[in-house]
Amino acid sequence: MIFKIAFKNVWRNKVRSLIVITAITLGLAGGILTVSVITGMVEQKVRSGINNEVAHIQLHNPEFLKNYESRYTIPRADSIARIISGVSSVKAVCLRSRLTGMAASPNSATGVQILGVDPAAEKNVFTLYKAIPDSAGGFFTGSRKNLVVIGRKLADKLKVRLKSKIVLRFQNPDGNLTEAAFSVNGIFQSANTMFDEINVFIKKTDLDRVTEMDNGIQEIALIANDNSNIPLVKAALKSKFPGLLVQDWSEIRPDMGMVTTAIAIEVYVILGIILFALAFGIVNTMLMIVFERTRELGMLMAVGMSKSRVFRMIMLETIFLTIIGGIAGMAVSATLVSVFHSYGIDLSAFSKGLGAFGFDPKIYPFIKPELYINLSIMIILTGILSAVMPARKALQLKPVEAIRIE
Amino acid sequence: MNIIEIKNLSKVYDEKTIPVYALNGVDLAFKQGEFTSIVGPSGSGKTTMLNMLGGLDTPSGGKIMIDGTDITGLKSRQLIDFRMRNIGFVFQSFNLIPVLTAKENVEFIMQLQGVDREQRDKRTLELLQSVGLGEKINTRPNKLSGGQQQRVAVARALASKPKFILADEPTANLDSKSAENLLEIMEKLNREENITFIFSTHDSRVVAKARRVVTLEDGKIVSDVSKN
Repeated sequence: MIFKIAFKNVWRNKVRSLIVITAITLGLAGGILTVSVITGMVEQKVRSGINNEVAHIQLHNPEFLKNYESRYTIPRADSIARIISGVSSVKAVCLRSRLTGMAASPNSATGVQILGVDPAAEKNVFTLYKAIPDSAGGFFTGSRKNLVVIGRKLADKLKVRLKSKIVLRFQNPDGNLTEAAFSVNGIFQSANTMFDEINVFIKKTDLDRVTEMDNGIQEIALIANDNSNIPLVKAALKSKFPGLLVQDWSEIRPDMGMVTTAIAIEVYVILGIILFALAFGIVNTMLMIVFERTRELGMLMAVGMSKSRVFRMIMLETIFLTIIGGIAGMAVSATLVSVFHSYGIDLSAFSKGLGAFGFDPKIYPFIKPELYINLSIMIILTGILSAVMPARKALQLKPVEAIRIE
Repeated sequence: MNIIEIKNLSKVYDEKTIPVYALNGVDLAFKQGEFTSIVGPSGSGKTTMLNMLGGLDTPSGGKIMIDGTDITGLKSRQLIDFRMRNIGFVFQSFNLIPVLTAKENVEFIMQLQGVDREQRDKRTLELLQSVGLGEKINTRPNKLSGGQQQRVAVARALASKPKFILADEPTANLDSKSAENLLEIMEKLNREENITFIFSTHDSRVVAKARRVVTLEDGKIVSDVSKN
């Protein structure tokens, strides 16, 4: 009965209830949309980082990462790769030579990381080839020798175009300097302009040919068939290859790991602040309701409704009001997020700044489903907390005085 | 046998500054089946008396025994429960719950008492029929006239099967036809079902129908007349 009266009471003053519900709806919609944009940005950054730059897990000679000296190779990398391929939950693996060097054009020169790769294996692990627009070549298309794939930022810096020649100069694992001319076969443009500026890709076969030696493998990269399997695969590889450094993406790129953790907290801080602000509106409305219904509450207590029932009734009314607003807010938000997720939000006007931090200029807002569950709990808690003060106020009423109030 | 006995009842406001005696040493008793009006000018103590009888206010001194229980000694929580089980209230301004229908308003007290649904439905219908509102059970208060609302309030007051009903100026907000109609219904309930009614009133029509009239002045009983 208390339940029924409380629910009916919510609709007693429809305009006022709708104003509160609308405030909650708009507040939540704004908050959730903001959160979805931030989450979308971070998810895209992390996904792009994993797909284009680091994969799920990498293996290195522990000495290599200290100074990126190419002499610290992974011994018997081919057989290790075969073993890794056999580990359950591993989807694909690729081997890379990684050397530090210079890229030079007639206009400019700059330091770069040179990656000697097997294009076919590379494409199974990384999707960087997809970041090459149709008009910007391909990922080692054709059978010509000495092809190089570089980033848009580097191409601009060196002032080179597709099919331009650049000279790569690098130190071999045996310490000798080698240089050779390469033809630009593709220009990729990932979300991370810094990555695009310092990484150049050549075929491992070309690398070994121009250096007249096997440069070895400095890096093994792999992806698991599912994100959730990364810890399992990592643990398996650590026990299989104790001599190698096995790291997952968050260890290789702590910035990505950190931003993911930070954003998970930030999302709740933002929504918490919004709900806290909304709680004041709810408290205010419910206090007005208690004052307006003083005589009725007095009558209820006079005819035998216990204080705990009166308290519960006001609590329930507040919670209903909050939950209705919460459901409406989440429904509107889910719709908005879904629409924006389909079309994306183009922030290319700010892309220079965003790109420098590895963010894609086109953001696809996204909300993790569990957020709605946690948010529902937060909304109910807000309702309960907002209800305490008005419900306590109702308890302070004395029936003999309350029923006299006009 | 007396169902209510009031002994040396007093209520003093502003006791420490300028004491005002709303009730001053009142002794009074009511028997089962009485139809009593408490009358007197404004400020004579009628409403204070009714509030004391209803356990809504605490006296400054004296005792109120209802069916053997001294309600002045009950704690707040016990009083609420006592009111729910023993006393029916009819207020001047009806005080129905606006979001509930006539049936739900009457049923409400029985739900607080934990009466099962079948009994509730039966009694609610009987009560609303007895006040002439059998056709309006699913109507909300805002669709009922003042007289009809007050009749629902009477049905509600009867729902808990109270020992007596306290009605504070029940006809004050009614037109004469509605007031007449309400009084007839209460008189009939009193006559046929031996329900005890105690009114506080200014209304001469109520006084005319009452079989006992207690007159208060300055917190004291100045006359207590029973008509036969």
